[in-house]
Amino acid sequence: MSEITVTPHPPETIVMPKRLRAAEVVAVINDIRRRVEAGPLVLDFREVEEFDSSTLALLHYLRGHEASLAAVNIGGALARAEESFVRAPRTEALKSRPSDGRVVRTLTAFADRFIRQVRSLGRFLAMFGDEVYHLGVYLKERRGVYPGETWNQLFFMGYRSFPIVCLLIFLVGVTISITSAEQLRLFGADIYLADLVGIAMLRELVPLMTGVILAGKVGAAVTAELASMTVLEEVDALRTMGVVPEKFLMVPRLLAITLVVPLLVAMADVVGIFGGIVVAQAKFGTPPSAFITEMLTAVDWTDFGWGLVKTVVFGWAVVVGAGFKGLTVGRSAEEVGRATTESVVLSITLIILIDCLFSFILY
Amino acid sequence: MDIINAHDLTVGYGGTEILRGLDFAVPEGRITAVVGVSGSGKSTLLKTLAGLLPPLSGGFDFAGRAVDYRSEASLRLLYGKIGVLYQGGALLNGLSLFENVALPIRMQHPKMPEDMVRDMVFASLAQVELAGSADKYPAQLSGGMTKRGALARALVLDPDVVFCDEPSSGLDPITSALLDDLLIRLKETFRMTIVVVTHELRSIERVADKVLLINDGGLLFSGDYADLAAADDAFIRTFFLRKDSHDDT
Repeated sequence: MSEITVTPHPPETIVMPKRLRAAEVVAVINDIRRRVEAGPLVLDFREVEEFDSSTLALLHYLRGHEASLAAVNIGGALARAEESFVRAPRTEALKSRPSDGRVVRTLTAFADRFIRQVRSLGRFLAMFGDEVYHLGVYLKERRGVYPGETWNQLFFMGYRSFPIVCLLIFLVGVTISITSAEQLRLFGADIYLADLVGIAMLRELVPLMTGVILAGKVGAAVTAELASMTVLEEVDALRTMGVVPEKFLMVPRLLAITLVVPLLVAMADVVGIFGGIVVAQAKFGTPPSAFITEMLTAVDWTDFGWGLVKTVVFGWAVVVGAGFKGLTVGRSAEEVGRATTESVVLSITLIILIDCLFSFILY
Repeated sequence: MDIINAHDLTVGYGGTEILRGLDFAVPEGRITAVVGVSGSGKSTLLKTLAGLLPPLSGGFDFAGRAVDYRSEASLRLLYGKIGVLYQGGALLNGLSLFENVALPIRMQHPKMPEDMVRDMVFASLAQVELAGSADKYPAQLSGGMTKRGALARALVLDPDVVFCDEPSSGLDPITSALLDDLLIRLKETFRMTIVVVTHELRSIERVADKVLLINDGGLLFSGDYADLAAADDAFIRTFFLRKDSHDDT
């Protein structure tokens, strides 16, 4: 039994019920508030048998209002619970943070974020360099990568991506043709739809769209897989087996994307142009042979070649960006989802940035 | 003889010290238990000893050689002499149990004939009584089987030291005891050095020859398990001997 304070005047006593849980606590606290105005009270908790955290919260509240109470009598299990949970000394006192001004706080936060981003960029570029090195070493020594993994990745990145790439590029071909056809008709330049579709597809739309689709499909999958492996300590396990995870996990994916992109681009070029042919035939009655003959006056192999080179670079940006996000993830499961989202955003940003650089170089 | 000697070892993450100024030794051919309450830094210490987390200061010798985290060759040498059993097993999900256990051999000795790889893998799986489950994938294994499979992978290249991070976590008492028996058998049969990070009292009592007790960022006790009974420290008595202040009075 513990007592807090005793006053010299005979005070009114409130005996608490045997059951004192949340519903009863609300009634009791209202009763205390009402009756304490008439004079000091003695609160008797000794008969309480059933209690919960709200009872302890009530005791904590009463400790803060001891001045207006004559005594608080507690016994049995409730006294022990109070000793443990209400009166237990706090191991760590909450320290108030120095109160900087809002402007200083905002600037500090901005500077911290900027420094983190710069460091992250540095680590990404370092990883890009490392991957080029690992790929070179692998091609020379043929070791450090699990046999057959490149084929698995080729299957996933190529075979599994092929239908969605073809479908979307066909629809883009149709859309760009319909949009352009109306404008060209105004000038009687129907046949030049073939030139426009050919140039747009080979130089720009197929590389860009393929890159974006790879970012969404391949990049997200690579990040999710590698991030899960990191969280589940599989990456640590590889390292302590003497395996270099950045090589073991990334080289097969880089090889696969390098091999699969030319096939994807070639098919996507054909399908995208086919979309243009379908629209030209439907809108202007242009026969496919005339469309192709006209298109070949405007495009040549260099357009196809540069489109291919661009897409391979986009593919590398997607895989390295995805690997970077996956292998630098924290240790909690929720970070896997965050890393996957960030990976897609990073990949698409890199693709557009690289595309912009190519435009400056090529045109 | 001691196989690991730590000198003034301070470990932590991102400049934040978790354990400070540790001096201890791990004896060869014995089981050393690293013990402490949850969050005391046991697994962090194991990561440093396994070459995964550079120390903030100080260092340690492994088999008489200082481990230099800045040198890739030094770390590679360390990785070649250790096996690690991770808390969740950390088997690669895309590979069968056989392929998981074969992985270290294929990576370290890529030119080893396939039939020899097969023999080594099955020998290791037989030690943990999993030879019949070689074709299963990690998702098809129970918690105890995953741990034993991971142990087989850690053992397949006959490491000098096996580190086990919470081997009993998530296992029922019977499976946990079987795993303890396995560790004892490995020590007695192969004179293997085993470092176990745990807070399971029953397991410590069964397997540990030596105990490193971590508390409050430092090493509170380093010595034979048998000496714990004579320890005078209140925390040690509470932790190991299950005696609190009420029992003393």
